[in-house]
Amino acid sequence: MLTLIWSSFKPALEIIILWVAFYRILVFFEGTRAFQVLKGIIYLLVGFLLSLVLDLHTINWLLTNFFAIWIIAILIIFQPELRQGLAQLGQQSPFGGSLKETEIMTTIEQIRSTIFKLAAKRVGSIIAIERENKLTPFVESGVVIDSIVTEELLQSIFMPSSLMHDGGVIIKGGRIVAASCLFPLSENPNFSKIIGTRHRATLGLSEQTDAIVVMSSEENGEIAVAADGKFIPVSDQKHFTELLTSFLISSQKKK
Amino acid sequence: MKKNWITHNLVLKLIALGLAVMTWVYVNGLLAKSAP
Repeated sequence: MLTLIWSSFKPALEIIILWVAFYRILVFFEGTRAFQVLKGIIYLLVGFLLSLVLDLHTINWLLTNFFAIWIIAILIIFQPELRQGLAQLGQQSPFGGSLKETEIMTTIEQIRSTIFKLAAKRVGSIIAIERENKLTPFVESGVVIDSIVTEELLQSIFMPSSLMHDGGVIIKGGRIVAASCLFPLSENPNFSKIIGTRHRATLGLSEQTDAIVVMSSEENGEIAVAADGKFIPVSDQKHFTELLTSFLISSQKKK
Repeated sequence: MKKNWITHNLVLKLIALGLAVMTWVYVNGLLAKSAP
């Protein structure tokens, strides 16, 4: 009886294991330059399986015989990603975990505290918080950090004497993933030309992705939050916390 | 930052499921052919 149950359950288990593995691979490469190559490989894989089903012998022979070459090509093309992927293996839940509300609040508090202290000292800063859209291409333009979000670290990064003070910090899943990242500049014609590059980068990233971007200005010490291509000046600390809470917690609850 | 477990990255999940089923069917076919 047990053997019968096991033999009927085994295919489902195998497919689930394969599903998780394929999903993790796709998520890992999503948003990176390597994702385009991965898409090409998936097309070839689908083509290979179709050639089997439709009995296309020539196509099948070609794809089968080039398979060994593919493996070597994949290892060479994905060498940096594979190394990074193996290092991260086991650090995350199979389908990507979600942060608890308290963890998000802690991150918001650390960012709030940092940004107001930096603004008071007239130190410029940009912090982007990833939501659904991957910020991986921008992470690749900066210096990878991978640390919990602390006020001390964020302040140190943006200090003018720091090597990483140019560019922005990216926060993902309650962790600082990279600093000194280059963000796209907004080309919004309604935005005054006299506005600085930091403002344009803040707005630019919020136009191209769904990230929440917060900034402090070195010129006038003002603080702003950008989301969905809109710039929201922040009046005080309470307003800042309310804005980030609404973007990162309340908007998710509505879905 | 908080994600809905099912709908989050749904397209990737479906692609991964398709690949998983295709791989399983293909490998099982090969194993069935090579079985004595």
